[in-house]
Amino acid sequence: MQTPSDEDLMLRVCDGDLNAFGQLVLRHQSEAWRVAYRFTGDATEAEDLAQQAFLRVLDAAPRYSPTAAFRTYLYQVVTRLCLDYHRKKRPVLTEALPECVADTPTPGEEADARERDQFIQNALAALPADYRVAVVLRYFEGLSAAEMAVAMGRSVKAVERLLSRAREALAPSLELFRGKMR
Amino acid sequence: MDCQTAQTNLSAYLRGDLPPEQRSALAAHLRGCRACLASLAALDPLASVLVQSETPPVPPGFEARVLAAARGRRSPVLPVDWSPLRWWRLASGPMHAAAAAMLAVGLGVGLAIGWGARPAAPQVSTSSAAAGGDPLAAYKLDYLSDAPDGSLAGTYLALLTSPNGEGQ
Repeated sequence: MQTPSDEDLMLRVCDGDLNAFGQLVLRHQSEAWRVAYRFTGDATEAEDLAQQAFLRVLDAAPRYSPTAAFRTYLYQVVTRLCLDYHRKKRPVLTEALPECVADTPTPGEEADARERDQFIQNALAALPADYRVAVVLRYFEGLSAAEMAVAMGRSVKAVERLLSRAREALAPSLELFRGKMR
Repeated sequence: MDCQTAQTNLSAYLRGDLPPEQRSALAAHLRGCRACLASLAALDPLASVLVQSETPPVPPGFEARVLAAARGRRSPVLPVDWSPLRWWRLASGPMHAAAAAMLAVGLGVGLAIGWGARPAAPQVSTSSAAAGGDPLAAYKLDYLSDAPDGSLAGTYLALLTSPNGEGQ
């Protein structure tokens, strides 16, 4: 039996099929969670944003039109929620990060990994919201410039300019990090 | 993933042109291969740092909590047998043209019927018409002119054509 596409599942969601909605959540929860987590730096806020994203998809199902891949559409919804979150509330950096699963790391490696992750998250949090979203979508989610343009509601050139400025803004942190790791 | 495949895909990785599964496999390789990581750093230093950081996994039970929230919403998505707006979005260009043409024809027919049904001219008062001229013509009852005496139609005509024109 052929696996239904995301677009097929969304058409079933339009007809009130919550099982189809559940399948979409299972398939794409990682994407929504990762963007929200990298943007907020907080696991609780991230889960709330990711959940809101899926509920918005559900609410908008009757108006859904498959003009772009569902994955890109979901990134668009999550991105808007992250930017709204930023406008309403300044993110709070957390000192304690959730445990990362690693392959039997040594205590030293674990400590280095946590320090690195905290460093990266702090550097991201210091960026303006739109720079941060651009970095998350490109470097953590691997979206192309065209996909980022759809997700962020901007032109491809505008997205590339954002990425360029984000790299410049992160350069000092990057040098600091590489100096520490030597 | 081997190093040769990884090296071949580094540029596509940086452009965001790799499918998600392939991208994940390459990222996992980069975290464990200093040589390939150094190649990535030469292309994009930022990417070589960020790839080393793994995002924590989705919290357990996330999907169940989302579904519970979806079921608990006050206005759930209701099944729709047919939605005009959805039909319009999914229909092809010729279908749009046909629907527009039918709408125009329907409006035209409706207007024509409405125009034809309007009163043609103000009615002349039957009393004055009957008093001043042929009552049969005034009441447009000439088709009853051949009604025999004593018949219902004849009686009716007699009443109408009496001196006061009102059957009195």
